[in-house]
Parts: sequence; structure tokens; C-alpha cells
Amino acid sequence: MKTRGERIREWTSEQTALSLGLLLVGAGGVAVFFVGTILLVWLNGPTPWESLLETVLSAAQGTVLNLALALGAAAAIAGFASYRRMPTKAAVSGAALGVQAVLLVGVFYAFRKGENVALTVRQNFNFELLGEFGDAFVNGAKNTVFLAAVGEALGIALGLVLALLILSERVVVRAPARAYINFFRGTPLVWQLAFGYFGLKLGMRIPISTYQTAALVLGLNAGAYSAEIFRSGIQSIERGQREAARSLGMSYMQSMRYVILPQAFRRVIPPLTNEFIILIKDTSLVFVLGLTLEGRELFAVARDAYAERFNATMYIGAVIGYLAITLPLIRAVTMLENKLRAGYR
Amino acid sequence: MSATGGDALIRMEGVHKWFGANHVIKGVDLSVEKGSVVVIIGPSGSGKSTLLRMMNMLEEPTEGKVWFEGKDITDIRTDLNRVRTDIGIVFQSFNLFPHMTAMGNITIALRKVLKLDAKEAAERARAELEHMGLPEKADEYPSQLSGGQQQRIAIARALAMRPKLMLFDEVTSALDPELVQEVLDAMKRLADEGMTMVVVTHEMGFAREVGTRMIFTDGGRIVEDGPPREIFDNPKDDRTKDFLSHVL
Repeated sequence: MKTRGERIREWTSEQTALSLGLLLVGAGGVAVFFVGTILLVWLNGPTPWESLLETVLSAAQGTVLNLALALGAAAAIAGFASYRRMPTKAAVSGAALGVQAVLLVGVFYAFRKGENVALTVRQNFNFELLGEFGDAFVNGAKNTVFLAAVGEALGIALGLVLALLILSERVVVRAPARAYINFFRGTPLVWQLAFGYFGLKLGMRIPISTYQTAALVLGLNAGAYSAEIFRSGIQSIERGQREAARSLGMSYMQSMRYVILPQAFRRVIPPLTNEFIILIKDTSLVFVLGLTLEGRELFAVARDAYAERFNATMYIGAVIGYLAITLPLIRAVTMLENKLRAGYR
Repeated sequence: MSATGGDALIRMEGVHKWFGANHVIKGVDLSVEKGSVVVIIGPSGSGKSTLLRMMNMLEEPTEGKVWFEGKDITDIRTDLNRVRTDIGIVFQSFNLFPHMTAMGNITIALRKVLKLDAKEAAERARAELEHMGLPEKADEYPSQLSGGQQQRIAIARALAMRPKLMLFDEVTSALDPELVQEVLDAMKRLADEGMTMVVVTHEMGFAREVGTRMIFTDGGRIVEDGPPREIFDNPKDDRTKDFLSHVL
């Protein structure tokens, strides 16, 4: 005898034409919103901003919104209302999509009817203006990647050494490494950058460029975080591995190099990549250093461009740059984690 | 027998071990002669694994001394890495290196510790794989092998160092029952070849058949010590009698 839960699940998971129809209505609501809006913007041109505003306020856009709203609301109401009254597996998905369509239309509608719609479009979606700074943004993206990559490389090297030190049996070896890590984890990166630049580079006349100062401080900071990642990676290797290595006559360093670290490295690749993603975003803080034009990273480019033209589309430019860099990396982390879960070979 | 350890391969004198407040080994004197197969049995928690692990200093005695070939290995001036190349150990949980093939597992210490060149190391590894009946598994990773095969690779890895003493720490306890015999057969072969062995085990058949000497430990002390047949047939101590009545 099946339980009540099983019977409900069996019944609701049956596919019917009506249920699938409701899924299509809900999906249609979302699709009409996105496809319709994108199509209208494309047809009328995203630049200049006046034509974008024209599109937003056009009767055609209104029709798109009304249609999406109607489809979304219909799917939501019919889907939820029919729940458990008929097989509704697909219909409930349709209702969820319907709710999303209604919310999207609601937000767009409020924006469209708002007093400041013209100002908002001019200030945030002025892509013509953004185009003028295209080269600057591309250069900024390169610098963001470069600063983060150099910082992460320094951080990995430093983190590995620090991790070995904090795993020492001796307090006198552990303590300085621990102090370093706690200092860099316990103070804001923006302070570290400011102090490194004003206090050390300028204050002590250390002969390195501002750009090098930025990369160095980012590396010193990443080192503290990588150290904790490496420490947990090394500690996650079973004790028997070290015992087997030492029993074969390997020294401590040999057992680390040939047995423990190769296994630990595999395990820390996902958290290290996450750390790299955080570092990419943290490069935005180097604007406090006042970099040269060629040295500016994405955020500094956006900030300077804004100061020049007083238009917030510049920040949209920066966010496009950041996401173009980080989204593939986030995807890579997920893939690595799945691969790692599969184990050796 | 001289004061520095004598002709015995391994000799322990007045050995104690505390783990924190826990007194695990309570004064053990023991010597293992060349060519003997010493089997250590006893209830769990009786300290038999700890005793074995002190023979290559994986556990350091809290008190007392251990000599290997007349050399005090509890002396901090002794180069333990050097001593350990002469003492092979096989663990309950295999402890093969998962990121290396069977070949890699065997050759790594040959190349990095004994400093053999790659060709010579590979030849030795092949010979040991042959010895353990696994010549075709050279390029397999541990995860591709059965427990019994992994354990025989682990024995081959230890043997490739050409040790003078082999330690076995409950090496069949983690194996599925049908895989136990292949490992015991390999160990028996080794004993027949004259290897000096100290074996902590629950395999009473193996103890009786292969052991030249048996030690029964209980509560951190050696309670009985003698030829296996004698202890099995005529145990003197009540605790030995009790233990044997439960396991036989």
C-alpha cells in the first residue's frame, strides 16, 4: 500500500496537456517580457539615450508589458488554483514563472511611470557616452585581472610558507606567522593599501611604483587568506599518509613535497579560486592610491569617467567588466568541485 | 648480550607510553631475534599496536629505550630517517599514496630517499610487484585496486626498500573476508624467505602456522611469551585463557 504522500506525488507528476499548457503560459509571460523589450530596444537602437527613452515610453513597450502581465497573472492564478485539483507538476512551474513575469513587469512599470524616467535613462543607460570610454574600460579590465593575478601568485607563495609555519609544533615558529595572518585578516584591505602607499611607499620613500605597491599589498593580504586555506587543506590529509611517508625514510620536507602537498593542492583549488574571485573584486579598492591613467583598474576608470561626465552609466560599464571576468571563474569553481568529488581518476 | 642491545634486531627495555593521562604501555622488555616471526595478539586497547609503532618510532616511548641493530633509536641524535629505511611497516588502512600509481608508490622512496636512478628503482619495483603476484598492476591507481591488492602493493612498497625488519599492524582487519587470504599468503611467503617480522594480528590461524613466537599483551603489559603452539594449547595466564576461549 502506498502512502498518502506517494499517491499525491504520483498523481501530480502525471503530465497532462492542460498542465503543460499552463507551463507554456507562464514561460510565455517571462519570454514576452525579455524578448519583447530586447527586440524593441534593438529595433529603435540602444543609443542615443533619447531613443532608448522613446522605446521605454512607447505604446509598443506598453503592449509588451501588458501582454507579459496578462500571461504571468493567468499562469500564476490558474497554476496555484488548480494545485491538487488536477495533475499539476508542470502547472506549478508555470505558476512560478508567472509570478516572476508579474514581478518583472511591476518593477519595469514603476520605473516607466516614475517622474524621473528621463533622468534615470540619461544617467544610467547612456551607452553612447560609455562608448567614448571603451578603450579605458578595456585597459581597466586588463589591470584588474593583472593586479589580481599578481596578488594571487604572491599570495599563494606566501600562504604556503605561512601555512607550514602555523603547522609547526613550536610556539615560537607559529606565533609570528599567526600574528601576520591575524593582522592582515583583522584590518581592512583599504587601510592596508592606504598605509602601504602613504605610510610606506611615500612615507619611507620605498622606491617602487604605485602600481607595484598595489600588487604587493594585495599579495600580502591574499597570503594571509591563502595560508588558512592551505592549512586546512594540509590538515585534511589523513594522518596515515604522513606516517607512511615518514616510515619509508622520508624527511618532513620530503613527505610534504611528494606526499602531502600534491594531495592538499588538489583539495584547495576550489577555495583558492574563490579567494581569487574575492581578490578580483577587492582590486577595486586600489583607487585610494591614485594610480596613473594606464594603471587604473575597472573601478578607478569608472570613478574617473564619472567625475568627468557626471554620468552613472560609467559604473554600469565597470560592472559589465567585473561580471565578464568573475562569471566564468565561478563556473570553473563549480566544475572543479564536481570533478574533485569524483575522486582520483 | 651486551648493554647496548646485543644481537637482537630490535630490543626494548623498560618501555612506557602515556597518551596524556592514559598509561598505555606499562613497562615492556622485549627483544626480537633475526629471522623470527613474532606474532602479537591481545584484546583491543591492550597496547599491541602502540608497541609495534614504537619499533620504528612512529610513537615515541615516554620512558625506556629501544635499540635497532644495537643502535639506540630513542636517542635524539639518531637519524631516524636512515633507521626507517631498514624497517618496513604495513598499516591496517594501507596508506597508499592515492595520487600515484602502484609503480609511483613503490619507486618514490627508492628515488628520493635511497637516491636510486629511475631505471634501477623501476626494476626493483617490478621485481617486488612480481613477488607479490601483481606484475600487471604497475600502472593502476590505488582506487582502481581491491583492498587485498592495495595491501599487497603496500607490502611491495615496504619490501622494495630491502628492509631488515618488517612490521605488520593488523593488516587484514580492514579487508573483506574473501580478500584476507591473499594477503596472509603473501606474508607467509615472506616468512618462509627468512624475513624478520613482527605481526600484530587477529588471525589466529596465521599466528599458529607462521609465527615462531607469540606474545600476548593485556593492559599494556606482556602477559605471555612463547612458541605459538604452546600458548594456544596450554595458556598459563588466566587472561590469555579467557582471550583465547573467545577468539578460537
